[in-house]
Amino acid sequence: MSVDIEAYEDVWVFVEQHDGVVAPVSWELLAKGRELADETGDDLVALVMGDGVSALAEAAVSRGADRALLADDPVFEPYRADPYGEQFRALVEERKPSIVLIGGSHTGRDFAGRVAVPAHAGLTADCTELDVDDEGLLLASRPTFGGDAMATIKCPAHRPQMATVRPGVFDAGNPTEHVSDPAAAVEEVEVVVAEEDTLSTVIERVVGDVVDITDADVVVAGGAGCEGNFAPIEELADALGGEVAATRAAVDEGWVEPARQVGQTGKTVRPQLYVAAGISGAVQHLEGMNDSDVVVAVNTDPNAPIFENADYGIVGDLHEVLPELTALVRAKQEVTA
Amino acid sequence: MTDGWNIVVCVKQVPDADDVTIDPDTGTLNRSDAPAVLNSPDRNAVESALELRAAVGGTVTAITMGPPVAKAVLQTAVGAGADGGVLLTDRAFGGSDTWPTSLALARAAAELDADVVICGEESTDSSTGQVPPGIAAHNGWSQLTYVESLEPRPDEGVLVGKRDVEGGYERVAAQLPVVVAMEFGANVPRPAGLHRKIFAETEFEPVEWTASDLGIEEQVGLANSPTKVGGMDTASPVERERVVVDSVDDLYEHIEEVV
Ligand SMILES: Cc1cc2nc3c(=O)[nH]c(=O)nc-3n(C[C@H](O)[C@H](O)[C@H](O)COP(=O)(O)OP(=O)(O)OC[C@H]3O[C@@H](n4cnc5c(N)ncnc54)[C@H](O)[C@@H]3O)c2cc1C
Ligand SMILES: Nc1ncnc2c1ncn2[C@@H]1O[C@H](COP(=O)(O)O)[C@@H](O)[C@H]1O
Repeated sequence: MSVDIEAYEDVWVFVEQHDGVVAPVSWELLAKGRELADETGDDLVALVMGDGVSALAEAAVSRGADRALLADDPVFEPYRADPYGEQFRALVEERKPSIVLIGGSHTGRDFAGRVAVPAHAGLTADCTELDVDDEGLLLASRPTFGGDAMATIKCPAHRPQMATVRPGVFDAGNPTEHVSDPAAAVEEVEVVVAEEDTLSTVIERVVGDVVDITDADVVVAGGAGCEGNFAPIEELADALGGEVAATRAAVDEGWVEPARQVGQTGKTVRPQLYVAAGISGAVQHLEGMNDSDVVVAVNTDPNAPIFENADYGIVGDLHEVLPELTALVRAKQEVTA
Repeated sequence: MTDGWNIVVCVKQVPDADDVTIDPDTGTLNRSDAPAVLNSPDRNAVESALELRAAVGGTVTAITMGPPVAKAVLQTAVGAGADGGVLLTDRAFGGSDTWPTSLALARAAAELDADVVICGEESTDSSTGQVPPGIAAHNGWSQLTYVESLEPRPDEGVLVGKRDVEGGYERVAAQLPVVVAMEFGANVPRPAGLHRKIFAETEFEPVEWTASDLGIEEQVGLANSPTKVGGMDTASPVERERVVVDSVDDLYEHIEEVV
């Protein structure tokens, strides 16, 4: 079973928002989507869903979308897979996008997996490179098992071609395009779902501020080796003016907030300096920090794989090494101040 | 629902990541002889299925789609306490991407009259996390992904899941039937009981279903997978200095060069 692929055009970006706040990954994808649309000669279309979110649709146009589709209804706040999925299915059927990009957040992956099935779309998860070939076919590349290879996934006979991308992989850039009347490029679409047809109810939602570590120039990350005490990590990060990050192991222990997790199922960072302390260097972690300029490792185990993936390492206890390092940084700052 | 819930748990066989070593000089993986094991996030799914059964009653049936040797992951699930297992095995399934894979699991879950289907967060070999929402979408069922804990409300026919979302959590009440993807590490999987393990390895035989048993032989396999692998490139290993210094002063000097 395949479809008339000629009938499908345009690059869509799903603008993920919660309570009127756009997830930064959506703007990263909008910037990437702009590049792809320019290459294929298609329009870049932002898809905005929520309740009272027309300003976000206009923001998407100001940031470079040719058009925005707005599905505005209380049924879309907060996010739920079934109403979002049904609305998206109807829109795809009617408007036939060729490419759809979705952030690889928990919400984005929940949504992408749901909508790819009824659309019979090809969906590639966690892409780290996106390109189009001569025929406008999406080339979605991602590291395969263990990160030893990059696989390029194509979707020759099905549409849309969908991809999710984790936060921090692409640069959101700065919106430069001047649009005098962004509202003119926003189209409000018919809402096809009703509250009584939904299958789920959000009964409680507790969400605080979300930190963004993806733009930091210096990242100091701790792992299981911190053994519950992240103070040495925090102090070094503070002295260097950087952000604190962590492995999934440290996040699972509750020592650090999940938004600071680096790796395959967390954020991708590419700072000038990445300090990995008490981190073994599992492939899932390396995937999120391998593009850092300089990597420094502190680990008690000389055979820890992190040393193979670091520029400078020291075999030692982070609870001793990091405070000494922090003191040296501070001392130098005092001299220059 | 006095008889409790029909709980189905999806388990997948994957190469053992712990036995895969990285060649430090080429940056490539030696995984040719890595043994096949149960996808580790699926251990959390099995544990959660057993806890749910303890809370509401009913049965836990493990299902897997894979080659005949994938029976081993059903044995692991049965050893941990699952009541039975179904092996979806057929040459026709070969080369399936997440679309047909989730179709096969969805049909099997419907065939088993599932109230709740529990999956892992993602598989360590394909790491898409797409199969659980795919199962839900194929059957038009509700879904709960990235679940930290479950709270069954059998009187209302509802399963409440606490979901990990960016910056916090939410609690979502989902109508049955529902597909759940447990967050990796959400619980502590129990070890297999000795007698159960012996039973799983000696007496237990899975039910086997083919694609045509499920009526989907025309919808699965490579030919019916929207995505195709267009090419493989060896990821250029990142060049690192790999200098190990002896003193914190030396380390500081290297850091000072950067910042
Ligand atoms: C589906 C899936 C997705 C995953 N996604 C991610 C992800 O996004 N990010 C991620 O990080 N992980 C992820 N993981 C987990 C990953 O496989 C590893 O388990 C994890 O990265 C290990 O974290 P760690 O290095 O902190 O802990 P460990 O592997 O336990 O390593 C701790 C290290 O600390 C050292 N140490 C101990 N004490 C000290 C001390 N006093 N001083 C200095 N060193 C010390 C030890 O020698 C050891 O090397 C994922 C796993 C799966 C299955
Ligand atoms: N072939 C399979 N057989 C059984 N369950 C599977 C299979 N593939 C995926 N799953 C389930 O879906 C989850 C997510 O897998 P994936 O979407 O491949 O990352 C896994 O943790 C399993 O619970």
